[in-house]
Amino acid sequence: MSTTRREWLRAGAALGGAALVLRVPLFGESSETAPDTTLAPNQWIRVGGDARVTAVVARSEMGQGVRTALAMILAEELDADWKSVSIVQAEPGPDYARMSTGGSGSVQGSWKPLRRAGAAAREMLVEAAARRWGVAAAECRTESGRVRHAASGRSLGYGELSAAAALLPVPKEPRLKDPASFRLVGTRVPRVDGPAIVSGQAAYGIDTRVDGMLFAAVARSPLPGGRVVRFDRAAALAIPGVRGVHELDGGIAVVADDTFSAFAGRDALAAQYDDGPGSRLDTAALWRRLDAAAEGAGRVTRREGDAAEALAAAPVRLSATFRTAFQAHATLEPGNSTARVAGGRCEIWTPTQNPQRVQKEAAALLGLSPDEVTVHVTLLGGGFGRRLDADYAVEAVAVARAAKKPVQVVWSRKDDFLRDRLHPAARVDVAGGLDASGRVTAWTHRAATFHLSMFGAFNPTEDPEGNPWGGYDFPYAVPNVAVAWSEVESPIATGAWRSVYYPANVFARECLLDELAAASRQDPLALRLALLSGPSPATVGRQVFDRAGLARVLRLAAERAGWGSPSPVRAGRRSGRGIAANVYDGSTLVAQVADVSVGASGDVVVHRIVTAVDAGQPVNLLGLEGQVESGVIWALSYALKGEITIAAGRVAETGFAEYPLLTLNEMPEIETVIVPSSSAPFGMGEMPVPAVAPAVANALFAATGRRLRRLPIRSADLA
Amino acid sequence: MARVTLTVNGVARSVDAADPDTPLLWVLRDRLGLTGTKYGCGVGACGACTVHVDGAATRSCQVPLSAAAGRRVTTIEGLSNDGGHPCQLAWLAEDVAQCGYCQPGMIMEVAALFAAAERPRAGRVEAALSGHVCRCGTYGRMRRAIRRLAGEPGKGA
Repeated sequence: MSTTRREWLRAGAALGGAALVLRVPLFGESSETAPDTTLAPNQWIRVGGDARVTAVVARSEMGQGVRTALAMILAEELDADWKSVSIVQAEPGPDYARMSTGGSGSVQGSWKPLRRAGAAAREMLVEAAARRWGVAAAECRTESGRVRHAASGRSLGYGELSAAAALLPVPKEPRLKDPASFRLVGTRVPRVDGPAIVSGQAAYGIDTRVDGMLFAAVARSPLPGGRVVRFDRAAALAIPGVRGVHELDGGIAVVADDTFSAFAGRDALAAQYDDGPGSRLDTAALWRRLDAAAEGAGRVTRREGDAAEALAAAPVRLSATFRTAFQAHATLEPGNSTARVAGGRCEIWTPTQNPQRVQKEAAALLGLSPDEVTVHVTLLGGGFGRRLDADYAVEAVAVARAAKKPVQVVWSRKDDFLRDRLHPAARVDVAGGLDASGRVTAWTHRAATFHLSMFGAFNPTEDPEGNPWGGYDFPYAVPNVAVAWSEVESPIATGAWRSVYYPANVFARECLLDELAAASRQDPLALRLALLSGPSPATVGRQVFDRAGLARVLRLAAERAGWGSPSPVRAGRRSGRGIAANVYDGSTLVAQVADVSVGASGDVVVHRIVTAVDAGQPVNLLGLEGQVESGVIWALSYALKGEITIAAGRVAETGFAEYPLLTLNEMPEIETVIVPSSSAPFGMGEMPVPAVAPAVANALFAATGRRLRRLPIRSADLA
Repeated sequence: MARVTLTVNGVARSVDAADPDTPLLWVLRDRLGLTGTKYGCGVGACGACTVHVDGAATRSCQVPLSAAAGRRVTTIEGLSNDGGHPCQLAWLAEDVAQCGYCQPGMIMEVAALFAAAERPRAGRVEAALSGHVCRCGTYGRMRRAIRRLAGEPGKGA
């Protein structure tokens, strides 16, 4: 993935000029006009005359806790009373120009601008109090929504000061807190949306209700370029509750009084499709393309020393091929959006990670300018990268235009699988050589995978620097390294998926290191620590690796997991531990230890996963631990459970029975060790994912002596 | 057009169903405006649509409206007046939810078991929840919430 694409995924917050924040009513929130007692020094924060603090969040909440974390950063620098803080979701517009939520970049990218925004408001409140009291601002301090003057014992609440503060100039360089004085950041704060979630009041895209709206289902070929060739309009219209049938570009929409009638009407269409040439495609054909690419030249993205020569000369050398399957996002909330098109304007309510893309693509469809399209970002019932695309929002716009009414398009679970942008299968070939002392002296890594069609057409001339993630940023100190990358044009829809290219590459890398350790009778932890004792930080291209930090998290995870002590004895089962580590895009450092056992039939139980993580300054410890728990479960699902296959050009698994995910009875104990840090925070959404699968595979080797080089792992591999 | 009467969250409701086979899920969501009950799969495989029918945890996508006639249905909105049901409080105390979409179904499943037996064993509740899907992987905190409810000082997860 190119730098620009990576930046686009990350999309850091851009702090524009000071502007009044207009309250934009969201569904389920009351609308109010900003009274003139409100302090609104920038687009991120408002302090009302009623002492209520409003934090504007310009990132999508999909479970990662971003609404809580970003509001905490603002409230910290404001010294607000956390109980007085409420959240407003931003909408795309001049003040919120880049709202894309991806690349685990929300906290990382918002840290500085939101701290400055909160600090500016705080300085204005202090100045207002100082003027009222006739004292120097430096004599005042703030605490939990009040300005205090210790010498005189006076204090004023923010609500009493907001009107006066609003008349003051906005400081350009507000003073930020010393992290040592943080009261909120670095603590354990329950998510702000919790009460709404547990009472059923939280509004996701599918919960949008607009006056006069109808519900729709769309029949379309799931194949790129496929089309409907025949359908029975009358049969659909005969279904009770169906109001209309509309032909769209590439599909037929059935509009009805309720979702079930829309689904029934779509079934009644009995649509027949011309799927086009893609219908001959299957998983085996896709793998043939990958294998051909993997065996071709590839594009070298990193070269140090002469890896080929060093490998040839190494007394011990190993090479292996690793393969990972296609995977689905399977967000619990299926694709859906609600749209109203009328009077030269369009309004969209959508669970999106990428509101600007929705706005732009809807405007293009309708021949409007983007500012004539309003996008309301709802809560997302999961995102994981899928909702960086705008297809399901633009589809609702097309149906609403055709129906001339507000319409909610809902995808069935089957639609959601068929129309996913899959995590592509990958093949990674790695080789390593050891010298007589057991030190790794040569490393080659080459990856082949499909391009991510979600981000546009395949471009074979795109700068490959940085790829493959997890190969290019090989963090260990080895004198001879060669990394190559083969990106193959994808004939099926593919896209970003939690940790994107890392899973396959870290799986291959960390497993082969384990194989090298076993081949040279070294402890896998000791082998890694030796390779991390080189210069730190180390730089390759635009990436910087904190080798010492990675060694630290490895030691911490190992210590907590009881590394080096015998695995627990479990009757009738073979037990083992495995370790793996990763540095994510030069940022968050993660090490993980898996404790597993295998039964006679090859059945795998993961008993415990210990994670040690250095993500810089933790913002919300409860949220950070939650992302580790979530990332581990995500990884165990792709390591041990479902996979997506392609038959007749389409996804063959279209339900949770065919695509099983980890369930509660299968989950291990998950323990997290967090390295204290006062450096700026890194991301956490994707970082805990990639090292889990290799830690499990290495543990399975320790338990059984078998090397697992394909994900997901099957019982048959171990029986 | 069939008219069906049922009790939803303590209130008698009459629903005109275009089709008496319409699953209760869609009646609740699209006719009665009770969107806290979620659509996840439509085939009873994920548990997101779980409600109580005559007190029993039931996947509302599998109940045709005609079969709900005369029944007592409770949704997440009706579990308590103020979000103060012990399950809801335990969920908040453990900060269980991530995206939260599957959570109403999870909470309704657990609430039914605790209503049926004053103190069900945590293991039994966990077995019931193992038929639900949470893509965010909040299972560890669910486990802690269940142990909190069961009064078992479990080691959590």
